[in-house]
Amino acid sequence: MLVLTRKVGQSIMIGDNIEVMVVSASADQVRIGINAPKDVLILRKELYDEVKASNIAASKSPVDLKEVSKVVIPGER
Amino acid sequence: MKKFNTTRFGEIEVSENEIIFFPYSILGFPESHNYVILEGPFPFYWLQSLDEPHVAFVIVEPERFFHDYEVALTESDLRKFGMSSVEDGKVWVIVTIPENPVEMTANLLGPILINKKKNLGFQLVLDTDKYHTKHRLINSAVEARRSSGG
Repeated sequence: MLVLTRKVGQSIMIGDNIEVMVVSASADQVRIGINAPKDVLILRKELYDEVKASNIAASKSPVDLKEVSKVVIPGER
Repeated sequence: MKKFNTTRFGEIEVSENEIIFFPYSILGFPESHNYVILEGPFPFYWLQSLDEPHVAFVIVEPERFFHDYEVALTESDLRKFGMSSVEDGKVWVIVTIPENPVEMTANLLGPILINKKKNLGFQLVLDTDKYHTKHRLINSAVEARRSSGG
């Protein structure tokens, strides 16, 4: 991993159009500002990991849902 | 009509206007951008990848189970997803079915948004503490029935 030292208010550029700025910093927390094109997905890594793991688990669901559907008929069709 | 091979359903025929393009893919499945929605046994549907035969997700309409579930979209979200209004969108949630199906869960944190007009799909990751990836479906079905008096 590339590690850079920056002061509050300073930025780094990733490519031509992604700017990551240190907005403020304290002993155990930094606030980071990001300017990026709107098609770039920006997520806290915990959320990214959680959703990705959930997707992978979901993709292993069984093929035959007929029995499964019997236990879960909600509302009216 | 185009033919596609799938692991679960064998060869399927899909017409061009049924193909949903996911420009940013579904997290964890970067190779799959084209999907189709297939009807499964009620209330389930399948979101089947057309790029990778083995990739498919069970999905449901969240409003059937989670009456107060909301996906908030800003004007800038609408633009990003190519939608002119929220009416263009339909929300699905992915279901995980474990060995004991009674314990199946829905991922309300990362819903699937379909732009119906342009056949585009997106997996959102909601920035909220209200939802997570493992909401039990069965309890919710019972609750939903109870609250509708049925």
